[in-house]
Amino acid sequence: MTLGTEEAAAREETDWLAPHPRVVAAAAVFSLGVAVPAVVALARFLLGRDVAVGLVVAAGAGATVLIAAAGAAYETARLRTTRYRLTGQRLELRSGIWTKEHRAVPRERVRSVDVTADPVRRALGLAVVKVGTGEHASGERAELTLDALAVAEAEALRRVLLAERPAEQAEGPLAELRWSWIRYAPLTVWTVVGGGLVLGGLYKLLGTLGFEPSESEAVARAWEWFTATPWLTVPILLLANVLVGLVGAIALYAESWGKYRLEREPATLRIRRGLLTTRSLTLEERRLRGVAVTEPLLLRLGGGARVTAVATGLKKAEENQTEDVAALTPPLPAGEARRIASGVLREEFDPAGLRGHPRAARGRRVRRALLTVVTLAAGLGVLASRTSWVPGWVWALPVLAVPAGWALAADAYRSLGHGLTRRHLLTRSGTARRRTVALDRAGIVGWTISQSVFQRRAGLLNVSATTAAGAGRYDVLDVGQDDGLLLASRAVPGLLEPFVEEFVE
Amino acid sequence: MTPSLRMRPPRNQADPRAVAWWTVQALLLAVPLVIAASLAYWLLTDRPVWLGAIVIAFGLACLGFVVLAPRAYYRVERWEVTGEAVYTRTGWLTQTWRVAPMSRIQTVDTVRGPVQRLFGLAGVTVTTASAAGPVKIEALDRELAAELAEHLTLITQNTPGDAT
Repeated sequence: MTLGTEEAAAREETDWLAPHPRVVAAAAVFSLGVAVPAVVALARFLLGRDVAVGLVVAAGAGATVLIAAAGAAYETARLRTTRYRLTGQRLELRSGIWTKEHRAVPRERVRSVDVTADPVRRALGLAVVKVGTGEHASGERAELTLDALAVAEAEALRRVLLAERPAEQAEGPLAELRWSWIRYAPLTVWTVVGGGLVLGGLYKLLGTLGFEPSESEAVARAWEWFTATPWLTVPILLLANVLVGLVGAIALYAESWGKYRLEREPATLRIRRGLLTTRSLTLEERRLRGVAVTEPLLLRLGGGARVTAVATGLKKAEENQTEDVAALTPPLPAGEARRIASGVLREEFDPAGLRGHPRAARGRRVRRALLTVVTLAAGLGVLASRTSWVPGWVWALPVLAVPAGWALAADAYRSLGHGLTRRHLLTRSGTARRRTVALDRAGIVGWTISQSVFQRRAGLLNVSATTAAGAGRYDVLDVGQDDGLLLASRAVPGLLEPFVEEFVE
Repeated sequence: MTPSLRMRPPRNQADPRAVAWWTVQALLLAVPLVIAASLAYWLLTDRPVWLGAIVIAFGLACLGFVVLAPRAYYRVERWEVTGEAVYTRTGWLTQTWRVAPMSRIQTVDTVRGPVQRLFGLAGVTVTTASAAGPVKIEALDRELAAELAEHLTLITQNTPGDAT
């Protein structure tokens, strides 16, 4: 019944289009990823039973063909049941082999269009289009994925959905990759722990393929040698770990940020990046509510920073995604980050002009750090008095933690700052991950002021601007009571003012 | 430097019946705890005197909580709706003031829990486009809550824009 009316409507408007037929080829290639481990396992099994080598090869080839064919068949079924169309008001998608699904996204709600092509799809001239709408309220499935279209088709769709204008404009890019920036790539914790992760992954892979390294004799002998000469092997291992992490971090940086280019097209920002997998994210400027400049501790020590967008309708990174979808730049020099942030905001972004917070905020941080150390030391004390597995040198840890905690607390205090520009509210905080946010004053949809008993005594409070974009709220932490209330009153005239009063003790 | 500015308390208090409602809620939390503690003391231990004293002290603390907490809440919970905004104050050790402008309100809900209903109370929850949590007015007279929700819905419907 409803199908009939839908079909009638379909005849009046643009035709339903299918994904590009080459997706079948792509799926066949992808299924080889499953086929390889399966074939290896099969070969080991058969060889273990003294089957002739020729037969094993034949079986392996057969299995590969079978798996690739299954992948292709599934993809063909998906291709045949997936249709999309663009009408005057909506982008519609019908999909589902067994469970039919019909989804429609109003075109006015489209807030970002993401065009991605991994190496396989790229070789086949295909690209995946993800259309984001950013409905906070309706939750998970606020995204529509077209997998996959011909590159030209994807590009055309992107243009139609967003600006409806071809990309010309000779404004020049806001930023382009400079390979010298790659020196910031290793400045993450992943460099230190990355080697271990890679080894662990390798070990697990060998396990799934049926090799048991712990049972092999060579490994046992290596372990013996390792434990016999720890003064030599431990540094070697640490060095190897860092080396692997270093190479990995640089390779990852190159892969995700190669050919990086951030440019402004009419009313949109466009980020293109990726050496092997190309990604292109287009963000409507009217969805942009500001930018955040993030400086994780290691990166900050190296003088680097990253810029991310504060925008509505940008999906939170999925669990398997290691990268931030809101990222506007790779790790790059802090000065460059400020320049790009200013360019994106169309307003000077100058953290040097931020106003600091009262000394009382420093005391709070130092006390909190010392309290943490004392608590840990007390826990250690209990453990030491009850059991015998606390060696004496462990007590060096709390002793070392005191100056470290102190330094971090002092740094956290130095990070605190706030400011107000013509169009933005600026706030900065954090030490392990310092973040400076410029939030569009017009995008503030409410205030939350909070004050604990301790803050009340110190004359401090937290001011949070709530917004539809990004994290939903941006805090000005431990700001002086008068400063904070004035800041909020001025940032959005008329909103907080009626509820603030003067008083005399 | 002593501060010279502060948030003024919102005009209206919660409905006086809220004290009874919160007391019942506190009882629902405290009574099972005290019973469990006493039973454990009676059945699972050799009933040493010092432990008995601790259990009694715990019971008294719970009693104090049940008597005092609802009254303390009643004193700090305040709300106000002006032509421009919804304004609330909550919290005891940490006070929180929330302001949501009328033009940015997306949904208005009335909330009535089972115990709340017994006392003829209802709450009003106002959400904006922010993911950071709604503004809640917890304990109002049922009729008043309904009126307020209707009033707020009407205003927000007449405000153009998608409130983001």
